[in-house]
Amino acid sequence: MENGTESIKHAPLPTEKTLRSRRNLPFQLWRFAAINIKMIKMIRRGHH
Amino acid sequence: MARVVVMGAGIAGHTAALHLKRILKKSDEVIVVSPNSKYNWIPSNIWVGVGKMNKSQVTFPLAPVYKRKKITFHQALATAVHPAGDSQISSPYIEVTYTDSNKNGTSAKIEYDYLINATGPKLNFAATEGLGPDGHTVSVCTSDHAIEAAHSLKAVIAKMKAGQKQTLVIGVGHGTCTCEGAAFEYTFNVEHELKQAGVRDLAEIIYLTNEYELGDFGVGGLIFTQHGFQTTSKLWTESLFRERNIHAILGAHVEKIEAGLIHYELVDGTKGTLSFDFAMLLPPFRGVDMKAFEKDGSDISAEIFAPSGFMKVDADYSGKPYEEWLASDWPNTYQVPKFPNVFAVGIAFAPPHQISKPRKSPNGTLVAPSPPRTGMPSGIMGKVAAVNIATLIKSGNGAKVRSASMADMGAACVASAGSGLRKGSAASMTMYPVVPDYMKFPTTGRSIDDTFGEIGLAGHWIKLLLHYMFIYKAKARFGWFLIPE
Ligand SMILES: Cc1cc2nc3c(=O)[nH]c(=O)nc-3n(C[C@H](O)[C@H](O)[C@H](O)COP(=O)(O)OP(=O)(O)OC[C@H]3O[C@@H](n4cnc5c(N)ncnc54)[C@H](O)[C@@H]3O)c2cc1C
Repeated sequence: MENGTESIKHAPLPTEKTLRSRRNLPFQLWRFAAINIKMIKMIRRGHH
Repeated sequence: MARVVVMGAGIAGHTAALHLKRILKKSDEVIVVSPNSKYNWIPSNIWVGVGKMNKSQVTFPLAPVYKRKKITFHQALATAVHPAGDSQISSPYIEVTYTDSNKNGTSAKIEYDYLINATGPKLNFAATEGLGPDGHTVSVCTSDHAIEAAHSLKAVIAKMKAGQKQTLVIGVGHGTCTCEGAAFEYTFNVEHELKQAGVRDLAEIIYLTNEYELGDFGVGGLIFTQHGFQTTSKLWTESLFRERNIHAILGAHVEKIEAGLIHYELVDGTKGTLSFDFAMLLPPFRGVDMKAFEKDGSDISAEIFAPSGFMKVDADYSGKPYEEWLASDWPNTYQVPKFPNVFAVGIAFAPPHQISKPRKSPNGTLVAPSPPRTGMPSGIMGKVAAVNIATLIKSGNGAKVRSASMADMGAACVASAGSGLRKGSAASMTMYPVVPDYMKFPTTGRSIDDTFGEIGLAGHWIKLLLHYMFIYKAKARFGWFLIPE
C-alpha cells in the first residue's frame, strides 16, 4: 500500500547534466561558498 | 552570588551552561545535572548508524570540559522541581538521583536561583507496541542505538551479498513523531551504503512516515526558488526518491510491530501490514519523567507540564484550532509564567501547536507530525536563556530580556550521505523562520530568500564541517563562542 508511489513516479528526474553538476568539484566549491553565505545570512537574521 | 542550575547537557543545556559561565561573574555558580557522562553530537549518529563513524567520533566526556570551565557537574537525573522550595527549604530546588558509578541511585537536593530545563525528549518507544531496540526495530537516537542499527544493517547487507532480497523500512514509528528530517537522512545514507556494497538491486527501501506528503518534515513543507521558479520541498523530495528508487508510505500511524511485520493505519483509515528485514523507526518524543511541587508539597505537575510532558512556557496554550494559530503564539523567552526564574529550552519546552497540519483518520487516529526543535534553534534558545539570566542577575527582575521565538529564527538541515570528500552527496535545506509567519511573509509564511534546498557534494562538505565545528565548540576549545549556534 505504497500510497506515495504514484506521485514519486511523476516527479521530475534530474538530467545527466544536473547529476554531473552535483559532483563537479569546481562547481561544488562555488556552491559550498554560496550555501555557506546563505546559511550565515540566515543565522544572522535569527540570532538575537 | 547567584546559582544557576542547568538540567540536561545536550545541545540546548550544554550551550546554555558554557555561555552562562562565560558571561556571569566568577563568583556566580553554574551547575549542570545530566545523567550521561558523555556529550553526544546527535546529528552525526546517522553516520554511526551506517557504520561510517564510531561512538568516540560523536561523543566525548563532559567532566573534563566542565572542570576546565569551572562548571560543577552532577552526573544525575533530575526527577522533581520545587520552584517555591518547601516547608523546610526556603529556596527553590530540584531533586536528583545520581547515575555515576560512585553515587549510583543516591539522591540529593540542589538549590537554585535560576533553573534551565534542557532535558530534551524521552524516547517514547512504549507508545507503539514492539517499537525500538527492546522490540523489533532499531533506532539512531543515541550513539548506542546507532551502533546497534549499524550491526543490523551489516547483517542484511551480508544476506544480500548471499543473494537474498531484503526489505528495509526507514521512517517514524508513530503518528505523532517528529524529526522526520533525521529519518529522511538515514534513508539516503542506507541507500548509499547499499550501493557501495554492490547490493542495491536486491534491496527494496520503503520510507514509512506520518507526513501527509513527502518533504513536509513536520514544518508543513517548504517553498523556495530554483532556476527562476518557485518550487516545493514536496516536488524536490519526490524527485530525489524517484532518482534513488525509494518507495514511500505516507500519512501513516504505526500501530504495532511484530518480528518482521509492521501494522499501520493510514490517514484515510485503511489499515495495512508491511514485512521487513530491517527497520529503523524513530520513536515519538515526550517530556522526560519529572514532577513539580508547590511549597506545601502539593503536586503541580499538570500546571507546569503539558500533557505531552514538556514544560509550559510563555506560549499560547489555549488550544485554538490549527487554522487560527499565529506565529505570535510561540514562546519568546521560554520562562515559566508562574516561576519566571525557570526556563525550558530546546526540545524540553511544550510547543503551542503543530506546524504541519494535524489530521485524523476516520477511525479517530491522530496523524500529526510534531514540530521539530532541531539543533540550531535549540542552541539559540540555550544561549538566549543564558544571556537573559545574566541580565536578570545583573539588573534585577524587571530588566528587559531578549526574545528567541521560533517564528523569528531559521533552521538548517543537511541530509548527507557517504563519506570522504569526493564520494558523498547531500540535500541541504534552510528555512526562515521555522514557524511560518503569514503576517510578515503573506504568500508562503517564510522568507523566499532565506529558504532554499539544493542537492550536491557541497552540502556533504558542509555537514562534515558542521560535525567538526560543533564538536570543537562543545569541547569549549579556544574561541568556541565565536562559532554560532
Ligand atoms: C538521529 C537524529 C539526527 C538529527 N540530526 C539533526 C541535524 O542534522 N540537524 C539538526 O539541527 N538537528 C538534528 N537533530 C535534532 C537535534 O539532535 C535536537 O534538536 C537536539 O539534540 C535538541 O537538543 P536538546 O538539548 O533539547 O535535547 P538533547 O540534545 O536530547 O539533550 C537533552 C539532555 O538532557 C539530558 N537529560 C535527559 N533527562 C534528564 C533528566 N531527567 N535530568 C537531567 N538531564 C536529563 C540528556 O541526557 C541530554 O544530555 C537530530 C536528531 C536525531 C535524533
